[in-house]
Amino acid sequence: MKKLSLPPVVGRLLACLAGGVVLAMMVGTQQGSQQDYGLSFREAVLDVRIVWFLLLGLLVFVVITYKDLVTPYLQRPGVRPLVAGVLVLIASFFLLTWYDPLSDGKFGAFADAVTGTPQIAPLARAFFGWLWLVGLIGVPVLIAVAIVLRVRVLAWVAAVVAVVVGVLAVVADSTAGDFAGGIDHSFGSVVALLGFLVLAFAAGVVARSTKEVATPTEFLERVMAYRPGLPLVVVGLVLGLLSLTGATWLAPTGDNLTLVDTSALFEGSDLDGLSAAVLGWLAYVLLVVVLAAAGAAVWLRSKPLGLAAAGLAVVSVLLVLITLHGISSTAAEAGYGSGDGPWQNLGTGGWVLCIGLFLIGAGAVVAALQDVLPATAAVSSDAAPVTGSGRLHAAARSTTGRSLALFAVGLALFYPPTANQFWQQSLTTTIGVYVLLAVGLNVVIGWAGLLDLGFIAFYAIGSYTTAYLTGSLPVQPPSWLLLSPLWAIPVAILICLIAGVLLGAPTLRLRGDYLAIVTLGFGEIIRIVAVNNPGEFTNGPRGVATPVPHPVIDLGFIRIEWGNSSLQYWYLLLILLAIVLIFFYRLEGSRLGRSWAAVREDEVAAQATGVNTTRVKLLAFAIGASTSGLAGVFFGSQVGYFNPQNFVLNNSILIVAYVVFGGMGSLVGAIAGAAALTWLPEFLRDQVPAEDRTMWIGAVLLVMMIFRPQGLIPARRRKAELTGLAGHDGSVRPGIQAVPASEGT
Amino acid sequence: MTTATTTPAGKAPADELVFDVRGITLRFGGVTSLNDVSLQMRRGEILAVIGPNGAGKTSLFNSLTGVYTPQEGEVLVAARSGDEPVSVLGKKTHVVNHLGVARTFQNIRLFSALTALENVKVGIETRQKSGPISAMLGLPWQRREEKDSTAKAYQLLDRVGLAGRANELAGSLAYGEQRRLEIARALGTGPGVILLDEPAAGTNPVEKRELAALIQQINADGVAVLLIEHDMKLVMSVAHRILVLNFGQRIAEGTPEQIQRDPAVVAAYLGTSEEDAETELATHDQPELQRIDLSGDPLHEASTTEQSEGSGATAAGEKGGPA
Repeated sequence: MKKLSLPPVVGRLLACLAGGVVLAMMVGTQQGSQQDYGLSFREAVLDVRIVWFLLLGLLVFVVITYKDLVTPYLQRPGVRPLVAGVLVLIASFFLLTWYDPLSDGKFGAFADAVTGTPQIAPLARAFFGWLWLVGLIGVPVLIAVAIVLRVRVLAWVAAVVAVVVGVLAVVADSTAGDFAGGIDHSFGSVVALLGFLVLAFAAGVVARSTKEVATPTEFLERVMAYRPGLPLVVVGLVLGLLSLTGATWLAPTGDNLTLVDTSALFEGSDLDGLSAAVLGWLAYVLLVVVLAAAGAAVWLRSKPLGLAAAGLAVVSVLLVLITLHGISSTAAEAGYGSGDGPWQNLGTGGWVLCIGLFLIGAGAVVAALQDVLPATAAVSSDAAPVTGSGRLHAAARSTTGRSLALFAVGLALFYPPTANQFWQQSLTTTIGVYVLLAVGLNVVIGWAGLLDLGFIAFYAIGSYTTAYLTGSLPVQPPSWLLLSPLWAIPVAILICLIAGVLLGAPTLRLRGDYLAIVTLGFGEIIRIVAVNNPGEFTNGPRGVATPVPHPVIDLGFIRIEWGNSSLQYWYLLLILLAIVLIFFYRLEGSRLGRSWAAVREDEVAAQATGVNTTRVKLLAFAIGASTSGLAGVFFGSQVGYFNPQNFVLNNSILIVAYVVFGGMGSLVGAIAGAAALTWLPEFLRDQVPAEDRTMWIGAVLLVMMIFRPQGLIPARRRKAELTGLAGHDGSVRPGIQAVPASEGT
Repeated sequence: MTTATTTPAGKAPADELVFDVRGITLRFGGVTSLNDVSLQMRRGEILAVIGPNGAGKTSLFNSLTGVYTPQEGEVLVAARSGDEPVSVLGKKTHVVNHLGVARTFQNIRLFSALTALENVKVGIETRQKSGPISAMLGLPWQRREEKDSTAKAYQLLDRVGLAGRANELAGSLAYGEQRRLEIARALGTGPGVILLDEPAAGTNPVEKRELAALIQQINADGVAVLLIEHDMKLVMSVAHRILVLNFGQRIAEGTPEQIQRDPAVVAAYLGTSEEDAETELATHDQPELQRIDLSGDPLHEASTTEQSEGSGATAAGEKGGPA
């Protein structure tokens, strides 16, 4: 039979249209039944929306086919962020949930509900009625016109409008949400704000660009290198002002008290003087003082000033925290609100002020660190001396990295208290624990290059060790070994280390796929042993017999007891994570870190250079395993109950996916990957039907591996591997495209 | 067959042996890669191993460094002055390296995603003591070792002429630079003897001259050099003695002058009988091997010195690619 061959154009068209149909089916409901498997197909194909998706496929086809014609336009300054911003906005307005207590809380349904309710503030109704269209269509058109006609003023106007509408989106959404009440996990307005900020960025690129062809990165670099730390200070200032003016400081049921209200409320109460002062006037003074010091440091690029500002910021944050403690405990004593102790009934205001002050201080730190830069930036060779723009490039890049890292730290410290119960719970039990596990597995997979598909087994060993040591298993430990969870940490780490060595010693002569299979088997063995309950040790599939106790630190004069609040565990986790990160960061740059890289790159050469590859690989296994032992202790004592179902193979594979997704071999990448991929299912919970979640996560992984195989934040060493030599100087795109090109012909 | 050995030009005591290889035989299934090969390498000498492709040179290297274990024979090594001779057989590669035997590879095997500096540091640090815990805690002696290894790595890079490229990724270096970086990495382990497997392959004439100087300099620092090389000009200019292998057997050993006049060697390279080779030798005044392209297979004849230099470089260049 003659092979049927289509002209490539036709094939591409069909593929694009088929992609549209697949997407249409993914977006629709997936529920079928045994009698009716075709439900989702009919839903997708017989509905009007199929036309939209086919048009989308057609658009992709046109873009691919006429790529050469399109590319010059895409390279015009600001076009790419414009496209990205519009896409984000479309997603936020049509796909995302804005208010999930409504059963169908997508933007459209929510907007109908809001516009039909006259009691809601007019501004919110205006936004949901027509203002959003101005943002979605007006701003992009304005920017497009500015690009075509090269009118700078227009671009500035568009930028301002974009920011205003973006802020309005959040304000209107929260106003309407407050009015309706109920627990709301939706992200629509935040994503919309993000989209508008991207549009504003695009407008900024258009307005500031002098060149015919420009990349957004250049603009971003110029912004970041202009005054290092300035963006952080600006964001901090905005947050600080928000908290001092509009945000809620105390929010017992039915009340939303701003800073002024709160101050008035506590007038004449027995609130301590310091807290009263902060509420009354000191908060403003603190913000102004820290801002002045940090602003001066950033503007003058002064190191001593920067450190002084950072110190001031820390003191201010502490004062705010004392105040928060003061007002919440006073309110609880007075029986005001539902709280029975400190830290309850607090609004977001105090925490937002903390974030703001922290970010301003962080900006000052970035400015202070700036003078360290040239030494690190000038590492390039004599052959290629660092040019002015190259130095700018390097400086901007490290500034950007530092700024982002400090921003993340600020959020990690002060955002969780403002989140609702659901997110606090997710942050600790899923996101936090898996971040810790991913950091551990990163040692094995990312640094030493050993594919371990049974990593969850060490986590199980850590958890069961904790349960045993705290007397939660049917078999009780001898009384001298009965430990509190925190004391169990070193023992669990040690046991996991030993388990790592025991698994590693006989198997590490295996390479690649074979090692993966053996570790996979190991993971299953540990789980099945736990299920089989040998010697009544593990209590079988029912899990631990009595709950693992919460950790307690009792130093006599001070007693910290972890209870049922997720928040307390979050801070414990942050401390553990910080310690692990510092240790691992040092390891990566040490002799052992280089040996790992050497073994990963070329084991034969590493041996010939005198590296004891067996020992090095065993250490990778042991150190990785000990991290998951730590995670096991944390997990065990936090949830109290666990059973073998927590340690299934699927979880091992997920951790591998987190590490790969984040960027193998990169500490920050492992954190980002695990955080993103554990956050995503929780996020999708309110956006798509429950049974579709895995599919969307799969789609995200797929897209990621096609377009960014090196991961979210690739390690320098790994990046070099994946992008090949050509991509080393960043002038050539990742080599992934170059490979099939030669084979296709 | 075995030529009486002469005293090398080196300064070290002549009676001390770095390598004492006694009749090793290495088989892979039915194929005999090395057949009863013996070799005595003295401290402080530059010994070259030559032979047509497939003669067993790299197999010999692998047998000396613990990668392969010959079925018969014995390999004793006393790399550093005053060492007791120790058998290499059955020892792991990294253990042999710790005995003071460093090597480079025919097809470059650098850690290409590490920088040049890091590559050398890997070599240096295999001799250091500090473990993971001191690294995690950043203890003083670990920091001192780290500083030491960086300083030493810069020295070594400077020595092979790569000081300016220290922070480049090894994979992005030029071919000749990668070869020199491999040598620097090997020297980082502080060897008493260094085995260089075709260090000049794929390098240009200028780089070859620099390489010859580098080899002589390494040797002058008291490191014995065992060299596999196809470039006869390089071999003849640096080697104190030469060992010739063909089809896994030792066919000759001696000074460069002796080897150039050895009919068995010429026969091996020209693929003719020994008698023809002798007459060939008699009709020419200049040493024969200078005129023969030794980079090709024995059946392939090349003619003049000029050609052999040019084509030798390209042929080796092609071969030296990812094999």
